[in-house]
Amino acid sequence: MSLLELKHIYKIYGELHALDDVSMKVEKGEWVSIMGPSGSGKSTMMNIIGCMDKPSKGEVLLDGVDISKESSKNLTTVRRDKIGLIFQQFHLVNYLTAVENVMLAQYYHSIPDEKEAMEALERVGLADRARHLPSQLSGGEQQRVCVARALINYPEIILADEPTGNLDEANEEIVVDLFHKLHDEGTTLIVVTHDPEVAEVAQKTIVLRNGRVVKEVVNQNFTGKIHFSEEGTHVTKTDLKSEEEIKAEESK
Amino acid sequence: MFFRMIKGTLLRQWKKMLMIAFTIALGASLAAAMLSVMFDVGDKVNQELKTYGANITVVPKSASVLNELYEVEDGEGTGAYLREDELGKIKTIFWAFNIVDYAPFLKVSGELDDGSVITVVGSWFNHHMELPTGEQLDAGIASLRSWWEIQSGEWLDEQSNEDAEIAMIGSALAKKLNLSAGDSIHVKGSTGEKNFRIIGVFDAGGEEDDQIFAPLNTVQALEDLDGCIDSIEVSALTTPDNELAERAAKDPSSLTVAQYEIWYCTAYASSICYQIQEVITDSVASPVRQVADSEGAIMEKTQLLMILITILSLIGAALGICNLVTASVMERSSEIGLMKAIGAQNGAISGLVLTEIFITAIFGGIIGFFAGFGFAQIIGHTVFGSAIALRPVVIPIVAILVILVTLAGSIPAIRMLLRLRPAEVLHGGH
Amino acid sequence: MKKRQMYFRMIIASLMRRRSRMLVALLSIAIGATVLSGLVTIYYDVPRQMGAQFRNYGANMIFTPAEDKLTLEEIQQGAAVLNGKDVVGIAPYRYENVRIHERPVVIAGTDMTGAQATSPYWHVEGSWPSADGQIMIGAGIAESFRLKMGDLLEVSYTPEEAGEDAETVVDRITEFEITGILDTGGSEEDYVYVSLADLEALTEKPDSIDVAELSISATSEELAAYAEQISNAVPAVNARLVKRVTASETTVLTKLQALVLLVTIVVLALTMICVATTMTAVVTERRKEIGLRKAIGASDASIIKEFLGESMMLGGLGGILGSILGFIFAQQVSIHVFSSSISFMPALVPITILVSVLVTGLSSLMPIRSATEVDPALVLKGE
Repeated sequence: MSLLELKHIYKIYGELHALDDVSMKVEKGEWVSIMGPSGSGKSTMMNIIGCMDKPSKGEVLLDGVDISKESSKNLTTVRRDKIGLIFQQFHLVNYLTAVENVMLAQYYHSIPDEKEAMEALERVGLADRARHLPSQLSGGEQQRVCVARALINYPEIILADEPTGNLDEANEEIVVDLFHKLHDEGTTLIVVTHDPEVAEVAQKTIVLRNGRVVKEVVNQNFTGKIHFSEEGTHVTKTDLKSEEEIKAEESK
Repeated sequence: MFFRMIKGTLLRQWKKMLMIAFTIALGASLAAAMLSVMFDVGDKVNQELKTYGANITVVPKSASVLNELYEVEDGEGTGAYLREDELGKIKTIFWAFNIVDYAPFLKVSGELDDGSVITVVGSWFNHHMELPTGEQLDAGIASLRSWWEIQSGEWLDEQSNEDAEIAMIGSALAKKLNLSAGDSIHVKGSTGEKNFRIIGVFDAGGEEDDQIFAPLNTVQALEDLDGCIDSIEVSALTTPDNELAERAAKDPSSLTVAQYEIWYCTAYASSICYQIQEVITDSVASPVRQVADSEGAIMEKTQLLMILITILSLIGAALGICNLVTASVMERSSEIGLMKAIGAQNGAISGLVLTEIFITAIFGGIIGFFAGFGFAQIIGHTVFGSAIALRPVVIPIVAILVILVTLAGSIPAIRMLLRLRPAEVLHGGH
Repeated sequence: MKKRQMYFRMIIASLMRRRSRMLVALLSIAIGATVLSGLVTIYYDVPRQMGAQFRNYGANMIFTPAEDKLTLEEIQQGAAVLNGKDVVGIAPYRYENVRIHERPVVIAGTDMTGAQATSPYWHVEGSWPSADGQIMIGAGIAESFRLKMGDLLEVSYTPEEAGEDAETVVDRITEFEITGILDTGGSEEDYVYVSLADLEALTEKPDSIDVAELSISATSEELAAYAEQISNAVPAVNARLVKRVTASETTVLTKLQALVLLVTIVVLALTMICVATTMTAVVTERRKEIGLRKAIGASDASIIKEFLGESMMLGGLGGILGSILGFIFAQQVSIHVFSSSISFMPALVPITILVSVLVTGLSSLMPIRSATEVDPALVLKGE
């Protein structure tokens, strides 16, 4: 059984089909990237996976349980217990120190434990900055606090939305290295990004366009080679476009 | 473009702007209400203090010296009287408008059937007057003796009982003679006698409890004193005395022309007395210190109290507005950052933000002013049973207050935002 | 670490580290609380303070003899029934007929300090008699006898028992120094005033008081009760109210208190709304933070609990500050307006704190609730 499975998901805002029959599977321990230009529906998808939104139609199976019909209160519980979120804008509470921001996630989840929070910061290499306020940290450091906060409750999935969007290259590398480390430890990672460099390092990249999955790329580098997915039965032949075609379309 | 942007803000952020306008309206209404009440409280309290009765007495010139003195020996007085036909002139003096009430008095001795001698006082009860100005006034002791407690019967109504032989008698006398309302009492004067029907028995808590009060003309007939009165009590709205008034009271001729003008045209008790003396022949008018001084003290205290409360509420209103304006400007950091990023000058940004806030402030201020005036009316009607006058001076004070406070609230915030670098603001301000 | 510890740690962090913003809100709450405690203190103190002002109108109770004359001792017995601190002044008066320059004049013997207290409206040019042999004359007397301050005045008294056989009686003559001229606008202007001791010396008849004036700070109901108690307790004394003063005082004081009450209500209502809008603004500003907390798994209830806790703590601080400032304000008002200090009302402190906690709590509850209803994804994206 997959850890996360989307089955024929639609998200419709009036005329606009933000997501149009999307299906996808993420296995436990897998590192998946979701790529696409803006307006492709990746934010909507991220919100649905992150339990911050519900699909108009379709099923979302998390650990085999359909959460697509849950009330927003239950979704909060699911999000709290199973998902760690990382944002492009970091979104740290600006009057709490780094370690307090991490403890905040513990607080809502169970019981705050400063020692454990410090360990999490140590994992992201920020033990010495634990007592600093977000405004005293660089962007990369803030994002690492975010990562520490996301993993503090041992979530089933870490969901990162453009985690490197606001970072310079050096910091981007640090964060991606961190993801590697998490992946090696067996954490499931879903990274939403439009940066191919970040997407490429994942095991699998799902490309969205106009609310549809147009391509699933398995990163061969990860295992040794790149090849087109043969899974994803939902991807019809007509939907499949080569990367050249996509680029040509984009340039229009 | 400038106005298009302002229009855009006002229309699109109307919720936020409405909140600012609302707070400014609250502050302005508080200021307007308190200022209106404060400016009017003196008059209102003065009016209330009229329950203490007359604050000026007028007596004949020669009587003023020794009348009271000789009364011990001889209740008839000294033979000097004021003229009843001059009474109307009191309502023609410079401060006529401040004369709230007045009544003439004539005290004579009367002999009862059992031979005892009592004091009979002739006066107005609710005398109706048509003034030359076209005004109408009901004057008399019905309001000048508001503290009288009617023990039986009712207040004598002289308008509907003209020339009737009716009277009110004091409670002590009524007790002594075992009389009550409806009974009659026969009084003999030196030149006439009357059979008074008792309309009411009053308890005045003083020497008047031993006296009979009857309409002026019936008492004049007892002693053949037609057209004569021996004192007038006047209840006037006065301004508390100051040093000038005290000096003038001693000797008006010691003032310079300018000081005299000021004194004459201010409603001091002494200047009103002076003006009464001018119209009533051979009279001496003097303030009743017990009433006049106490009035002054109480009015001063009340006004001061209201001024201080007003200041507190003005400070409260000012800080409230200031706070919200600052908060609302700060909130727009990203917008201001964006405007700077696309090349707007500091002046242009400040102008835009200030204009928006001022349009909102004017809107809120006007609504607040009227709301505040409404609050003042509620206070006026509930407490004093009369409307609070709209003082024109309140308008500029409230306007200046709103403008200053809005400026004070927005300028530091704008300056602070302008100091930020656009990049910082646009990157989430972290 | 306990959950509660983290809760307070967060609230304190929010209050301390967002200092400037919180100070603004705190200031606003403190002003609201200041207005509350200050005006309520004034409202309760106005009758007392104003009542003291109304003592300017002079005596509101008089003791008359039940029969013939009173003695000083009887007056003191009567006064002893009163609650001592409410008594502004007691002035016994004894009236006698004397002659000045062969003309009859009423002389009054009194306790000058008492008279000064019961008749504060008396204008004395010069000074009140303070030693034996000094006399204060009414302005009317001064005018008719052409007397001025510093003059010596001979007062002659004819003993009563001599009434019929005037030949054998010798008038007793005493010379007084005029220290003051009295101006009241009333009948007092035609009397002369000396101390009781001087009058007793002149008449050689001790302790026969005609009337005693009392000025008492009390409502008319209290006064009526006092009068009855005194008349019952001391049979020689007949205590009566001066209706003109007591009745009018009640009327005016009631109006004044109604005025302050209404003003207090209007000012309070408007100030509280001001506090509420400020709190609304403070919370609305933090929608994004609320969204973030929701995103990382906070339930609506816990967010409400935290923000409400913070607001209420702010309300409590503002309430404490306001109680202190309000008392200072009321004290200043009292000193400037009434030249006396105000009585501290301990009960007002918890009330002020409670009200400001409630107002801040309630006014932030609404925006917090509406903020928690917002989709966290929208708030977080919407930069």
